[in-house]
Amino acid sequence: MPEVRIKTLPPPHGGKLVERVVRDPQMARKLMEKCSAVYDIKPTLFKGNPVRNVYREIMSVCYGFFSPVEGSMTKAELESVLERRRLLSGWVFPYPILFDISEEDFKKLGVGAGDWLLLRLKGEPFAILEIEEVYEIVPGDVAVRVFGTPEKNPEVVKVPFDQKHTGYNIYCSLNPIILAGKYTIINEPKFRPPFDRFWYPPKRAREEFEKRGWTTVIAHQTRNVPHTGHEALMKQAAYIGDIKPCDGIVVNAIVGAKRIGDFPDEAIVEGHEMIHLAGYIKPERHLVTFTLWDMRYGNPIESLIHAVIRQNMGISFHMFGRDHAALGEYYDIYATQILWSKGIPSFGFDGPPYEVDGGFYIRPQNIAEFWYCPKCLEFAYSDNCNHKGIYSRYSGSFIRGLINEGVMPPPQIYRPEVYKVVVKWWQKFGYPFNNEKYLKEREERLEIDLPHMELPAHLKK
Amino acid sequence: MAKFFGVVIDEKRLAAIKGTPLEEKVEPIFGGALKRLVIEVPDDLAQKTIDQFTKARFDARGFIEETPAAFKRLVFKKIVELKSMGPEVIEKALAELDSIKDEIAKESQELPIPDIDISDILELQKNPVQKPA
Repeated sequence: MPEVRIKTLPPPHGGKLVERVVRDPQMARKLMEKCSAVYDIKPTLFKGNPVRNVYREIMSVCYGFFSPVEGSMTKAELESVLERRRLLSGWVFPYPILFDISEEDFKKLGVGAGDWLLLRLKGEPFAILEIEEVYEIVPGDVAVRVFGTPEKNPEVVKVPFDQKHTGYNIYCSLNPIILAGKYTIINEPKFRPPFDRFWYPPKRAREEFEKRGWTTVIAHQTRNVPHTGHEALMKQAAYIGDIKPCDGIVVNAIVGAKRIGDFPDEAIVEGHEMIHLAGYIKPERHLVTFTLWDMRYGNPIESLIHAVIRQNMGISFHMFGRDHAALGEYYDIYATQILWSKGIPSFGFDGPPYEVDGGFYIRPQNIAEFWYCPKCLEFAYSDNCNHKGIYSRYSGSFIRGLINEGVMPPPQIYRPEVYKVVVKWWQKFGYPFNNEKYLKEREERLEIDLPHMELPAHLKK
Repeated sequence: MAKFFGVVIDEKRLAAIKGTPLEEKVEPIFGGALKRLVIEVPDDLAQKTIDQFTKARFDARGFIEETPAAFKRLVFKKIVELKSMGPEVIEKALAELDSIKDEIAKESQELPIPDIDISDILELQKNPVQKPA
């Protein structure tokens, strides 16, 4: 008889959680002594606007979100990821993780393979990069290969990617020199409020699940303040479980540079928290968390990084909706669900990612959509409700448009408490959405502060 | 496939079209919680509209969304003036875009903060269930 109960959390992707954080200051000082140069981390800019900060990738690597990846990829690893979405070890991994610098900076640093580079952030020592290899990339080529083309990936790519796509711009804007090697954080950052209470890296998330007695957990990916459709999705997708619905619903927000017009991350995490503070889901069953990552909006490709992150956190199931982590009409709106139901051979998946070698334990919950039906008098699931012509489909863009016009979304769309969270951050930032001013200030402030740490004398020169 | 442009109809806008044939075209959404007028826009005109605004996009429903509020006000003004729900409304509004350039620029920097009491949620947040690590 097959086992019906799910008694344990899934193993980390790749078998072992990566944790590369040195918490002992003496050890940190010893490691800094081995460094031959210092480099101040800079944001990746597209047309002058920050679209990525590599510090977020360093955090996600070192705290184990991206296990088994341990650092910036070598040329062979990059080729393997672009060609077959696998690491050299065979484990599925969708995106290049790269430490890029300009030719000018590279010349100034004078480092090479075998050297250790101290990475400084906000003026303080932050992490070490053990340089294993230095190589060049053509950023535009990497960008095209990351997201695919209609010719090479006809199953799901509808039109060529261009400069209207934020993720594509991130890769196009990379510097041409890549320093490959392992990262180690040597000065543990402190998260600024409100992010500090939502910081559950994989090790802590697993401890929290165990403390709560959860063995069946479902993930909700978000980059949005939750509307009632999201809430319905979370509640109903969580019925999957084993002999009962899932023990836990984990919201994992992607926090990082976003597009102009999205909600600020502060409003996103607190908006989700309000779902349990205001009693719409019991807090005992609902946990709000985040991962640092500058969204690539890669729909099926992004779903794979989501699976990596959430399985590493100990999550058993993942909700995938229409237009998952998508932007524009580059991919089929169900591209992620195609991947997670039958695979996308041209991206290296002859079957769904939980059936292929090097794949996942996490299982998909592919959901079509919810809409508000005035006849059902509920947030109806599209495979149930047959009241054509009278239901109203949710649209994040439509809701942002309402807010933009000064219309308070009705409770059928937003819980009033959630809308008030939007207003709270609107008061703080003077604007309800990301605009250029917010994104620039945010990039200077980041999500963290770093304790002061003295540089070794030889690096002060 | 044609796209759509929706204009939310509040009490003030409803009063402006009261008694005209336009009033009959107002449709309820979200169970009547909101009302709107919908203009069907040919593809080329829809694309032209999107191209005017950096944030504008087609959403999954095929609606032109995230255009500036000032543009939506202008479109509604043209609906009333032309007494029409045809694509010419969008064409006329686009032709007069220059007249609202300053409003659009201002809107990307600031939007009036709603005057609502948020003390109840601040109270709920005083003792969050999840504590800092």
